Amino acid sequence: MTTALTLSHGRRSDGTELLTAVGEIDMSNAAELARALAGTAGPLVLDLTEVEYLDSAGLSVLFPHAERLQLVTNPLLDPVLTISGLSDLTTVHGA
Amino acid sequence: MTRSEDAESAATPTAGTDVFAADTAIARDLALVDWAATTPLGDPEGWPQSLKTTVSILLSSKFSMWMAWGPELTFFCNAAYRRDTLGRKYPWALGRPAREVWAEIWNDIGPRIDTVLTTGEATWDQALLLFVERSGYPEESYHTFSYSPLRDDAGLVVGMLCVVNEETERVIGERRMATLRDLGSDPSVVRTEQEMLDFARVQLSRNPHDLPFTLTYLLQDDGSAALAALTGIDDDHPAAVKLLPAGSETVWPTEAPVRGDSVLTPLDGALFADLPTGVWAEAPVQALVVPLRQQGGAPYGFMVVGLNRYRDLDEGYRGFVELVAGHVATGVASARSYQAQERRAEELAELDRAKTTFFSNISHEFRTPLTLIMGPVEELRHRLTDGEAREELEVIHRNGLRLGKLVNTLLDFSRIEAGRMQAQYEPVDLAAVTGELASVFRSAVDRAGLDFRVDCLPLPESVFVDRSMWEKVVLNLLSNALKFTFDGSIRVAVGVEDGMAVVTVDDTGIGVAAHEMPRLFERFHRIENARSRSNEGSGIGLALVKELVGLHGGDISATSVEGRGTRFTIRLPFGSGHLPAGAVLREAGTGPTAMTDPFVQEALRWLPDEQATTMSVTAGSVVDGSPDAPAPGAEAAHVLIADDNADMREYLTRLLRGAGYRVSAVDDGRQALRTIRATAFDLVISDVMMPHMDGLALVAALRADSRTASVPVLLLSARAGQEASIEGLQAGADDYLVKPFAAAELLARVRANIELARLRSHHARWRTALVDSLQEAFFVCDEDGAVVEINRAFTDILGYGPEGLPYRAIHPWWPDATDSEAHQQVSDAFALLLGSTKGSYTIPITHRDGHRLWATATFNQVDDPDTGRRVTVGTFRDVTAEHYAIQRESALAALGTCLARATSLPQALAGALDELKKLWRARGVMAAVFDHGDEPTLTSTDGTPVWAELPAERRGTLDSLRQGPVLTPAVNPTGAGILLEFPDGPLALWIDLGENRPFTGEDQLLLSLLAGHLAQGLNRAHQIDQQRETAIALQRAILGPAQLPDGFAVRYEPATQPLEVGGDWYDTVSLPDGRIGIVVGDCVGRGLEAASVMGQLRSACRALLLQDASPAQTLMALDQFAAGVPGAACTTVFCGVLNADTGQLTYSSAGHPPGILVQPDGTTRLLEDGRSLPLAVRTGKQRPEGTCVISARSTLLLYTDGLVERRRRPLSAGIDQASEALQDGRNTAVDELATDVMARLAPVGGYDDDVALLLYRHPAPLEMSFPAESSQLAPVRKSLRSWLDQCDLPPTTVQNVLVAAGEACANAIEHGHRDAPGATIYFRAEAYVDNLRLTIADTGRWKAPQPELNTHRGRGMRLMRALMHQVTVTPGPSGTTVDMHARIV
Repeated sequence: MTTALTLSHGRRSDGTELLTAVGEIDMSNAAELARALAGTAGPLVLDLTEVEYLDSAGLSVLFPHAERLQLVTNPLLDPVLTISGLSDLTTVHGA
Repeated sequence: MTRSEDAESAATPTAGTDVFAADTAIARDLALVDWAATTPLGDPEGWPQSLKTTVSILLSSKFSMWMAWGPELTFFCNAAYRRDTLGRKYPWALGRPAREVWAEIWNDIGPRIDTVLTTGEATWDQALLLFVERSGYPEESYHTFSYSPLRDDAGLVVGMLCVVNEETERVIGERRMATLRDLGSDPSVVRTEQEMLDFARVQLSRNPHDLPFTLTYLLQDDGSAALAALTGIDDDHPAAVKLLPAGSETVWPTEAPVRGDSVLTPLDGALFADLPTGVWAEAPVQALVVPLRQQGGAPYGFMVVGLNRYRDLDEGYRGFVELVAGHVATGVASARSYQAQERRAEELAELDRAKTTFFSNISHEFRTPLTLIMGPVEELRHRLTDGEAREELEVIHRNGLRLGKLVNTLLDFSRIEAGRMQAQYEPVDLAAVTGELASVFRSAVDRAGLDFRVDCLPLPESVFVDRSMWEKVVLNLLSNALKFTFDGSIRVAVGVEDGMAVVTVDDTGIGVAAHEMPRLFERFHRIENARSRSNEGSGIGLALVKELVGLHGGDISATSVEGRGTRFTIRLPFGSGHLPAGAVLREAGTGPTAMTDPFVQEALRWLPDEQATTMSVTAGSVVDGSPDAPAPGAEAAHVLIADDNADMREYLTRLLRGAGYRVSAVDDGRQALRTIRATAFDLVISDVMMPHMDGLALVAALRADSRTASVPVLLLSARAGQEASIEGLQAGADDYLVKPFAAAELLARVRANIELARLRSHHARWRTALVDSLQEAFFVCDEDGAVVEINRAFTDILGYGPEGLPYRAIHPWWPDATDSEAHQQVSDAFALLLGSTKGSYTIPITHRDGHRLWATATFNQVDDPDTGRRVTVGTFRDVTAEHYAIQRESALAALGTCLARATSLPQALAGALDELKKLWRARGVMAAVFDHGDEPTLTSTDGTPVWAELPAERRGTLDSLRQGPVLTPAVNPTGAGILLEFPDGPLALWIDLGENRPFTGEDQLLLSLLAGHLAQGLNRAHQIDQQRETAIALQRAILGPAQLPDGFAVRYEPATQPLEVGGDWYDTVSLPDGRIGIVVGDCVGRGLEAASVMGQLRSACRALLLQDASPAQTLMALDQFAAGVPGAACTTVFCGVLNADTGQLTYSSAGHPPGILVQPDGTTRLLEDGRSLPLAVRTGKQRPEGTCVISARSTLLLYTDGLVERRRRPLSAGIDQASEALQDGRNTAVDELATDVMARLAPVGGYDDDVALLLYRHPAPLEMSFPAESSQLAPVRKSLRSWLDQCDLPPTTVQNVLVAAGEACANAIEHGHRDAPGATIYFRAEAYVDNLRLTIADTGRWKAPQPELNTHRGRGMRLMRALMHQVTVTPGPSGTTVDMHARIV
């Protein structure tokens, strides 16, 4: 059984690709996220507003795509993103 | 039998299964009953709703219950009842009529059930004894239970429900504990084996339940076993056989117990036909024979215990019997070792007493008759002219001298032993002094035909010796050499070696066999069959020499080759640093004291050809004018010469010696006066003109003193003329001679004066001789209390000689004023002496060398016939030995009291050290227990010393004590020590006396006696400690619960004194709805009775809470119950029900001290609502209830009054103190906090009342374990999140903790996955007040993690460290533990 995570693809009004994640991300389902990210190319907005938990397993999936990612997050995730240094590599927007 | 026989395998669910759904295990068996066919209840499908509901409640209850329903009272029970009570009757009992199920106890319970059915009222029984047959035999069991009515759908009573708590373990446990405790409660230190056995017999006979009868056999020397004690059985019963021969197996097995094994023996056959039954209906059928084990030896014997036939001989019963036997064996061991120690101590003391008595008696008893023999012999020698008679007289005289010498030697020993040897070390030219002494022997050696060589080269500096002792040393060695040498030579040499003066005496005699050498210096040891010039000899000469050399700080050794000769070597240090300062004289005193006579006399008599002609030959040698040979055979007159001119001194000395006088010479009048006061002289020849004190002044001083008034004085002066001579004679001189004078004239005047004086002083001399021969010290005091005359015994005892007379008050032997008590005693006695005509007193006095003596004095006032003045004449006796014997007895008694009063090992030791310190007025006393390695545990009368900080010297002393033998005192100049056996390891004891305080043989004896006693006492205290631990363990076992709910900690501590079980209790009850019942209570009184009331109330309260979880209701029902239990009224109880999820606490207090709640913000709240009277004071009165919410991270303390109540202190002070302790323990885990609170509030001597304590911190710690799989992460996170919510934390903290915990779990899963997928991970989270602690441990076997090798695991570790305040990772062979702390801001 993996941790509940819903991933849905979409596009922003400006045409940028959008990936919306809802749920929790840990080592049991990080691969799902990795696959979803691999399925996209070019700039991508990753919406983590509804993600309640993100740990190093999730982060390590995000790092390879850091250059092309823009993150939309919630305050709960701030410490993790800051400490890991991901917020220095990507653009982070508050929700 | 109507149940399906193939029930187990079939297990097919039948109709009615859903009725039983609440418990699958019991349900399976219930479903197998053919209800329709075998019970009046019919098929379960058709049961009334009331029955279905009741059965469902019954099955779902965790509390032990059974019920009966319907006309046959059909039996149902739940899993708890099956486990606790039903035993082998399950599942047979299900569906049976209750009367059949419990046929064996129906007489007991049937009437109770009838009451319930007919009246509809519940019954209640407490610890009812029932003999149930559930294990194949009628079994003694105890049950606390209530029967309540069950009603059908129409409200009619159709059955009963029994809620039962089986208390067999508790009741029997308490009973056995009482026996063990009583066995160990003998307050006296056990003295004899019989007393011990009598005591044990009384205690064992008080438990006829577990010990229907006992027989204690002790093994005899011949291997047989003798009956020593019995209980519960008459001593004329055939089984109580008095003596079992060695190896006998006929009545009782002996071989197994003698080997050390227990053996169970059946009690059948005629011999056992009529055994006593104890309290039971029938007699035992088995007996257990247990050895009385001896540590490290064969058993002392064995005990036969008839066993209660109504109990299985399980581990508990067997253990109890062995503990009982262990107690008795320990008792036997103590009693025997006590007796052995006592006997040894008595033997030592007896030996010491005998020795001392022997020496004192022999010396004094011989001296008096000797004086009375030698005096008249001396007279006769001068008077008799008959040649033959005179020769016989000479034999008497010589042997008298010999005897005198022996007695004096013995006296010397006696003095050395008593520390009374009064030495005066003066600087001498050792070569000259030794050479002079050796020359005394020359004539004897010559006469023996031996070569005599004296090589005494001058030494570079002076050696300090006591002249008289040194004479004894040299003369003894010389006479020894002469005695055993027949050919060759004797050589005396003085020289320097290794910075010490060395004196050797060599001979070419018969030598000493190698095997005799070690005993050469041993007292009274004589070498048998040695060829010698004489068979006489006491074997003490060399022993004395060794003692005397030792007193000089030197040593003596001997080397010898048999047939070739012997060499004695004495080494003496130069200077005086090694000698007691008080006994050292700065300058040399008078010449030799001339005691050579007896030695030479004796030696001469060994030589051949001397028997017949002694007189003529020795007289001849005098006539020859040999300057070193005094007139042997005659008591030569002793003349003192005082002249400042050395030439004149030498001339006079030579002249007078030549004439056969003994001569001493001094430089001036002052020295002369001192010398005369110390030694009696027959004549003083003094120059008139001298420095310091001239001759006339000397005469005046001599005449002024009654003791010296009669000494004849011959004055010499260069001043001629009548006037000068008249001046001299007027001053009191007896004669006057003008220089120059003719030798013949001088000798004539000397002889005349001496003879005249002898006639004149005959009477006075006899008086002096008699006074001197008194065993008791003699003194005369003038009106002012000044001591003006003393005898020799006075000097012997006190060390103060006649030279210091008069001794004016305050006398120098008074104890120092700093010793105020002793000083006061002496001044009181002195006042008595001056103010009364006669009296007697015992006082402490101080010997000249500083050591303490005790003397008993008697005195009389008399008028001096010469002067008419009033003087006091007194005698005293040295009673030091008696005094110390009394002191010894009282010291033993004091130590015994102190040890008996102690309630713990540390207390006993500390008390004993204080006693020792007091006894010896020591600076301090220290005990070092070598309980682990080389660094001992220290206890001291002064503070708490640390081994590493002790002076190296002290550490060395303690270490060497430890290496030595036990109970043997070791003494050095700073104190004394001893080693003794201690329960934890050897104990070295050191008494710090300060510099140079004497520690006499008496003290050493006392120390070893006390140490033996102390070892016994400490052993006993150790046993008390162990008993205390047992008592606590047992009470805790009674208290339970075995498993506390999470978040709780409890403590129970019995009062220090007396050690008893108590009436305080705590309890937690897990209620069916998940809430937790909390109870803390306190019954009035203590002891078994209170414990039993406590047990009943606790069980009742537990059952009531399970039935109706409202604290007020529970207490009200408990009021009713307590009213019917004697001793239960006035019990105080705090009863609460806690919802552990929300922290909601409902409570009611029956007169109990308020609970204390400490909140995270630092405020304290007392739970003072819901208060009412103690139990059963107003039965039926409504009780109030209070509620409160225990907020997150608050700590709740419930307790009994023993924790906070102290005499003369308001309760609120104790409550404040407890609150503070809780505040200070904000970040301590509850279990540790419970320990801290108990320790911090404990009074100095321990709690004087029982204390029960219960702590709870909200929320309880979260504990989970889960398999190492990533799918577990989400549920673990969910549980943690909900627990963190209970902790009331800021959202950021929650998120940080979640991520850090998630990372730690992911780590564990990832590593665990590699080698052991699914291994268990253990997770724990605990909240403190300002702190959270998380522990994640995996149990998988994987190598030390190397997170750095894996980038995202490395990232995880970084996250953990960043999000938490402290992260510790401990890898280990069996797994890795991560410990994390988060501060709560």
